[in-house]
Amino acid sequence: MNESERNIYYLRGIPVPETPPPGKDPAPWKKTDIVGTSIPRVDAYERVSGTARYPSDIHLPRMLYAAVLRCPHPHAEVMNVDTSAAEGMPGVRAVISGITSDTDFAWWYSKEIKTKIFDPLCRFEGEEVAAVAAETAYQAWDAVRAITVEYKVLPFIAEESKSLDSSSPLLHPNGNTAKTDKYSRGDVGAGFSEADIVLDETYRTECELHMPMELHGCVASWDNDRLTIWESAQGVYSIQSRIAEILGLPLSKVRVIGHYMGGGFGSKLQPGKYTVIAALLAKKTGRPVRLFLTREETFLAVGNRPPATMQLKAGVKKDGTLTALEFSCIATGGAYPANGTGLVDWLVRDLYLCPNVKTETKDVYINAGPSRPFRAPGHPQAAWALEQMMDALAEQIGMDPIELRLKNIPSFSQGREGNPPYTTTGLRECLSEGAKAFGWEQARKYSSGSKENGHVKRGVGVASALWFAGGGNPPSTAVVKLFSDGSVNLNMGASDIGTGTKTVMTMIVSEELGVKPEMVQIEYADTATTQYATPSGGSKTVPTEGPAVRAAALSVKQQLLSFAAADLKTDESSLTLRGDEVISMKDPLVKVKIHDVTGLKKRGVIVGVGYRGPNPERKVVNPFAAQFCEVEVNTMTGEVRIIRFLGCHDSGRVMNRLTYDNQVFGGITMGIGLAMTEARILDRDQTGKMVNRNLHDYKLPTSLDVPKEMKSLPIEKPDDTANTIGAKGLGEPVTIPTAAAVANAVYHAVDVRMMKTPITPLQLCQALEKGGKEGSK
Amino acid sequence: MTPGFSYRRAASIKDAVTGISEGNGRILAGGTDLLGCLRDSVFTTNMVVSITGIKELKRIDETPGGGLSIGALATITEISESPVIRERYPALAQAAAEVASPQLRNQGTIGGNLCQKPRCWYYRGEFHCLRKGGDRCYAVAGENHYHCIFGGNGCYIVHPSDTAPALIVYGAEATIAGPAGMRKVSLENFFVPPAKEVTKETVLEAGEIVTAIVLPPPLAGLKSSYRKIRSRQSWDFALAGVALALRTSNGRVTDARIVLSGAAPVPWRLVDAENALIGKVPDPDSAKYTAALSVKDAQPLKHNAYKIPLFKGLIEEEVVNISQA
Ligand SMILES: Cc1cc2nc3c(=O)[nH]c(=O)nc-3n(C[C@H](O)[C@H](O)[C@H](O)COP(=O)(O)OP(=O)(O)OC[C@H]3O[C@@H](n4cnc5c(N)ncnc54)[C@H](O)[C@@H]3O)c2cc1C
Ligand code: SF4
Repeated sequence: MNESERNIYYLRGIPVPETPPPGKDPAPWKKTDIVGTSIPRVDAYERVSGTARYPSDIHLPRMLYAAVLRCPHPHAEVMNVDTSAAEGMPGVRAVISGITSDTDFAWWYSKEIKTKIFDPLCRFEGEEVAAVAAETAYQAWDAVRAITVEYKVLPFIAEESKSLDSSSPLLHPNGNTAKTDKYSRGDVGAGFSEADIVLDETYRTECELHMPMELHGCVASWDNDRLTIWESAQGVYSIQSRIAEILGLPLSKVRVIGHYMGGGFGSKLQPGKYTVIAALLAKKTGRPVRLFLTREETFLAVGNRPPATMQLKAGVKKDGTLTALEFSCIATGGAYPANGTGLVDWLVRDLYLCPNVKTETKDVYINAGPSRPFRAPGHPQAAWALEQMMDALAEQIGMDPIELRLKNIPSFSQGREGNPPYTTTGLRECLSEGAKAFGWEQARKYSSGSKENGHVKRGVGVASALWFAGGGNPPSTAVVKLFSDGSVNLNMGASDIGTGTKTVMTMIVSEELGVKPEMVQIEYADTATTQYATPSGGSKTVPTEGPAVRAAALSVKQQLLSFAAADLKTDESSLTLRGDEVISMKDPLVKVKIHDVTGLKKRGVIVGVGYRGPNPERKVVNPFAAQFCEVEVNTMTGEVRIIRFLGCHDSGRVMNRLTYDNQVFGGITMGIGLAMTEARILDRDQTGKMVNRNLHDYKLPTSLDVPKEMKSLPIEKPDDTANTIGAKGLGEPVTIPTAAAVANAVYHAVDVRMMKTPITPLQLCQALEKGGKEGSK
Repeated sequence: MTPGFSYRRAASIKDAVTGISEGNGRILAGGTDLLGCLRDSVFTTNMVVSITGIKELKRIDETPGGGLSIGALATITEISESPVIRERYPALAQAAAEVASPQLRNQGTIGGNLCQKPRCWYYRGEFHCLRKGGDRCYAVAGENHYHCIFGGNGCYIVHPSDTAPALIVYGAEATIAGPAGMRKVSLENFFVPPAKEVTKETVLEAGEIVTAIVLPPPLAGLKSSYRKIRSRQSWDFALAGVALALRTSNGRVTDARIVLSGAAPVPWRLVDAENALIGKVPDPDSAKYTAALSVKDAQPLKHNAYKIPLFKGLIEEEVVNISQA
């Protein structure tokens, strides 16, 4: 290899960080060369050109197509299934249902209650009743239609507010309460009596659906007793363990391959019944089976953000001190225990300084699809309540809403036992720096005084947030291999769910080894060939995997230096890696090219293994946020237009500004969906069926619904206590405060409080008629 | 996944008419509505007859008298971008631009837009309702947020088309070809209210197709506009829409047309409100008065009373806007 060829592998002259002695934690990065720059995704070309193979692109030789028959009623007992006609149809290779002997496997949404893959009691519309595998998808669907099922239709519950009525049917023998959680600190009674102002309001957020671009599903294939699954998933190991448990297989016999995937937002952290059904049909037919759901099915059966009705009572003193918060929430995770109230009180417990807090949350059953975690579970709901309440309190005491928030910023987590401090909190800067960048003070005045716009009023709003997780945690194992030509292979089990994980991990390897990003090849998300990783969710992928990858790269570097020390007959601590050579820091003439290092030449590869170390003890790692927006409200028609948004986030070190801003804008867009357009609608008074199960009636925001002006302002405080890369999570905090910020801006514009999502002319028109800002009608 | 049917591509209008006259044939134009209906089993068909090969239906021509003749296959995009339409029939160009999304406008045709099936989610869903030949309307006691406040009678759909109200304010006519030859029907009488027949949306009889929409020359000095309100900024039908045409002389209104979308099972003309405007100065006061009058006969359902202030606000705003334009 000549000199110029070798240069393509290395960034010439890049000083890579100091190498710690073996077994020692590396020092935090000071100045970085690759980390923190804006580099396009390492797999951008594959994604954009269409060469990236997603699980839904997998087509295996002799593959069959599966389709699922689902219960059309929200609550019904399957009395009989007649599959004889379907079985005789052209192309049909297998039909399974609750009455075929090979489907008797347990299923659970959470472990408290087990059902079956085809349970005779269907508790939500869309529960699985039978499935077909056929030569083509059309034949499979034709056969599904030919199956006749006798249902005994049962009374249903479509609203969580009716779940506990004595006249309501019971969904499970122990009653309709899935769980009740209580929390209390201090004395809220005393807190309220200390307060100058006490407000008590009821807020509601509607049920929101994940709707990732790629549908849910998989391809399953057996090779004797070994099952391979290509699934659109957020984590391959979580699919592997669940499927192995259900089918009673050793982990080693279940291989799950993820690779590219088209979005999940929490709904693909786990396998679905579809995964099991595909495996069963593949077993029965002895052929690979592809089972991807239709869009309509994903509206019913693969999770949601639970609808929540929240009551919040808050007390504040005239000087802005919060004295008490009392919160109660009734929400529903659907027809099975699915954590419908998970974390829904967390912001109330933790976001602002408040000595007296009491919360009670109740998760109840209704006849609708079980929820799954949805981008920052519980938090956007709570923000909708708490952040509107903060606004209302500020108004009552005549204080700017930002000032009120700044008065109540905690440095430790009050919601956790022992009040552990946060490793870092940038909440103050998010609010104050954000306010500056947004032009808050001016906009606030200008908007309130904007009478010249006639009946179209402007308003600005703010909301802040923290995210319960986002610190990452063990376990994670990463492997970095340095080949004898100096190129690098990174092997890790985590999935890149579209957030840019592969890109960020490449940058870490690149930073440590000085190798160009394009010389790093990643193997990932395959239980057979890559290391154990928890699923990508909780905004923890970068802070979890990043340190493990850095450790693996460091291990490679240490081994390389020690091999080179032997060649150069010097002490390895005097050596450093620079470009494509190992060089002595004392004597620049003492050096050796990487490809000449004897130890590497002999072995052909240096393998470094890195593990994720523990988090700091008795400290909490959380990201923080504040978002600002400006809206225009037409007081005659109730139309709201969002003019601009600013997302100001503290997620520690910015690993890559491009993928960082992608998250901020994506999170805001999703938050606008919650605020403005999205809601699952059930035919509550007649059939209990979902009426808007298509992308036209269930309204995801379009590009015209998000403002032209979207800005991201990172508050970059590398969090060196949190982990060895100084980064905290970002993917979820970005969507927490958005909806509340919009509601606050609407209030500022027209003095009408939006207690419920979504903010549409449907509710705004009538509210405005009842009375908004003076002179607005 | 769609039920089986035969397909044929008609060579001429006559061929198309013959094609759909047998059995329950259906015309395929852009297919944006038809294919969805078939896939969702809203209805079935034994014969789909494509008219896309009939050249004479693809045109927008000026007529000798100064009007316009739009072939049934003119796309919604062509209508929204046509310089003649933008200049002489601005409400129509605006309405076309508000339809659905860019892809749907490129593919969808004006004929299909006028003959599209309603969007009631019960009708489109797994509910065998009155309009599909069943025995009940699910909207009456159901989730009727998007249903009508005028003209409901057994069935409570709103008419889905944005272009229809705009065409009606200009007095457009549909040219219809059928087994018995050609006929013309004014668009105002083209749509069938449920009170008359609940399973039918247009006056088309078996074997009839729309071949063209003919617009008379615009009245001199006529001001017209279409404005649509929806809960999502693209790819969404009207929560409320209004096509408006006004002519004034010496500052007073001499001609007025107000036709609503999103309000009733058919495009809804407000003759009383129109008459009330005539002779008035179109100022904010008369706008307010007209708006109030417009909704006085509204009969909201359980979840759509918001449409009353919404239409009121919309009409008031538009009357003021147009008179200031
Ligand atoms: C998601 C979505 C959103 C939409 N949003 C809007 C909207 O906001 N506003 C709006 O106005 N429309 C909207 N539409 C409707 C859209 O504009 C129509 O689907 C389109 O204009 C129909 O044209 P086409 O040529 O595709 O019709 P096709 O689908 O081919 O036909 C529609 C129907 O009309 C019949 N037909 C077609 N041409 C003729 C003819 N010449 N003579 C007799 N019968 C005929 C067909 O048999 C069929 O029943 C929306 C549609 C979709 C799918
Ligand atoms: S409104 Fe009309 S289309 Fe809708 S359910 Fe009632 S009858 Fe059917």
